[in-house]
Amino acid sequence: MKRSTELLHLQHIAKSFPSTQRGGEPIQILESVDLTMERSHAIAITGNSGSGKSTLLQIAAGLLGCDHGDVWFEGELLSRMDGRSLSQVRSRRMGFIFQASLLLEDFTASENVQIAAMIGGSTKAEAKAKAAEILALVGLSNRLGHRPDQLSGGEKQRVAIARALVNEPSILFADEPTGSLDEGNAAMVEELLFSLVRTKGVALMLVTHNPAFASRCDEVYRISDRMLEAIG
Amino acid sequence: MNAITPLLTRRKLGIGANRASKRRVFFNLILITLVVAVLVLAQIFVVSMSRGIADKWAYLADGHLQLYLGPGQELPTHPNIDSIEEVGEVNALLYSPDKNQMVRVKGVESTYFSKRRLEQLSIRVGEASTSTLARIMISTTLADQLSVSLGDRLALMMVSNDAIRAQLCIIEALYDSGYRELDEQLIYCDLSFVKRLFGTGLASSWEILTENGRLNALKDDLERAGYLSTTWEEQNAALSTNLDTSRQAVLAVMVVVAILCGYFISELSAQMVEDDKARIATLHLIGADPRTVRTAYWRAVMAITAVSLTLGTLLGILCARLLPPVLAHLSARSYSALSFYLLDFPIRIPVLDISIIVSVLLLVSAISVHLSLKRVAAIEPLSCVRFD
Repeated sequence: MKRSTELLHLQHIAKSFPSTQRGGEPIQILESVDLTMERSHAIAITGNSGSGKSTLLQIAAGLLGCDHGDVWFEGELLSRMDGRSLSQVRSRRMGFIFQASLLLEDFTASENVQIAAMIGGSTKAEAKAKAAEILALVGLSNRLGHRPDQLSGGEKQRVAIARALVNEPSILFADEPTGSLDEGNAAMVEELLFSLVRTKGVALMLVTHNPAFASRCDEVYRISDRMLEAIG
Repeated sequence: MNAITPLLTRRKLGIGANRASKRRVFFNLILITLVVAVLVLAQIFVVSMSRGIADKWAYLADGHLQLYLGPGQELPTHPNIDSIEEVGEVNALLYSPDKNQMVRVKGVESTYFSKRRLEQLSIRVGEASTSTLARIMISTTLADQLSVSLGDRLALMMVSNDAIRAQLCIIEALYDSGYRELDEQLIYCDLSFVKRLFGTGLASSWEILTENGRLNALKDDLERAGYLSTTWEEQNAALSTNLDTSRQAVLAVMVVVAILCGYFISELSAQMVEDDKARIATLHLIGADPRTVRTAYWRAVMAITAVSLTLGTLLGILCARLLPPVLAHLSARSYSALSFYLLDFPIRIPVLDISIIVSVLLLVSAISVHLSLKRVAAIEPLSCVRFD
């Protein structure tokens, strides 16, 4: 089955985790979840803590396997791919932002972005040019040579956004991207994220607790009792 | 090759990295360098000492080759013969007023102590004596054992195949070869003296000096020409075999230590991966092929290993070059625990042995690091999120 018209399609996804207690029943997190995303669309997944929002994002991105169901990405069955194919998909067609910036500490802001570009297939020279360009877009052209420990939380997250978008992916997975930032920085990162996603036509799957942040997406879903429901 | 490999490798090597990373690399580099330096130094020491012992025997006791002339045979001429000297030998009991010692009396010509032989021993000559007694040269070790010194008189009871001769002698000179086992049993006198005492009953031969590398070829040529000869190894088979076995045994031990060191280097890479788990997970998250990451780590560890091996080898050789004055100092102190060791020998660099040790270490570390880095592939991309 090939679904070329959709960007991402999750079909009957179920996921459970082993119980933390010895001999206990597995904890069911998701049950028969279906979700379809069109290209350049932004969707938000909300829900209470522990409801399975991040788990759903990770399954959708091929970072976590599921017990049942299939994940289709750009017409390919992501949930059955081997590790190397998944790496290639992640490197060229997906971008990731998490609550922590997850920057490589030994590398400068520019090198962090360059590495992602080179993993995506760019030559060193191309990667350097791309990194300079996208870091300028996120307002960090004066921080190219700074290491993460020389950057503020907001600046680190902007570098993470630049890294996620440098290969012009089809989709950006963002899991609480402003969760660790103060109000001012959070607003700035939120603005930047939506601005870039819209400008570049990148689809966005956003996991957030923040209803205002979620409401800026085209569609908003909520996970409740292991099921996904559209709420806006 | 992926373009990120050189960048990751350089940073793992501390190039452009923060101070902590540089310190880590430096510490590992120093550690491996020191281990290699000790291995190289130990091997140089053992090989130099055993070759030094062999030289003492060859130059002072038997020559590289002992030649026995048959009736009517002329002395051979050969380009590989550096010198040829007639010697006559008898066994004897040497008596001082208080003690006695079994010795080997070697009668030599005045030309015997050539420059090459004089490099193997130091000689202290006493004041000129008007005595008509036969003059002998014994070692300082033997003089100490017999409680005698220069100018003292000793009695010699010499035994050949068919005669026993007693003779009173005077100590004209003392020598010190630095090798106690030789010094304890070898005394020199004039060849004419033993010839006069034993006549045709004296076991005489010709000692040939050559280079070690040309010894076997020379022996073969002499045998083809009808000469009877024995090498110093054949003459002292037990000693020669012991020296060879010791060298090989020590080399085997060094190789085993090199293998352990190679394993230690793989532990270093494993530790590196353990420390960098979050970083590697992040690289996997953004799509880096685990093989690329593994290659970067392998190159970094092997670069540290290669530099350490080079520095360690150079340091080992340098320390070995500085050994002679230290050994001379130890020798001068006459520590009883060291009295049976040769402490005066030229330093020789056993290139083959060092190459074997270094190659084994490099090979073992290359393979074990490669295997230990397989764990890189097992690091899940999501684990970086759990680490944050």
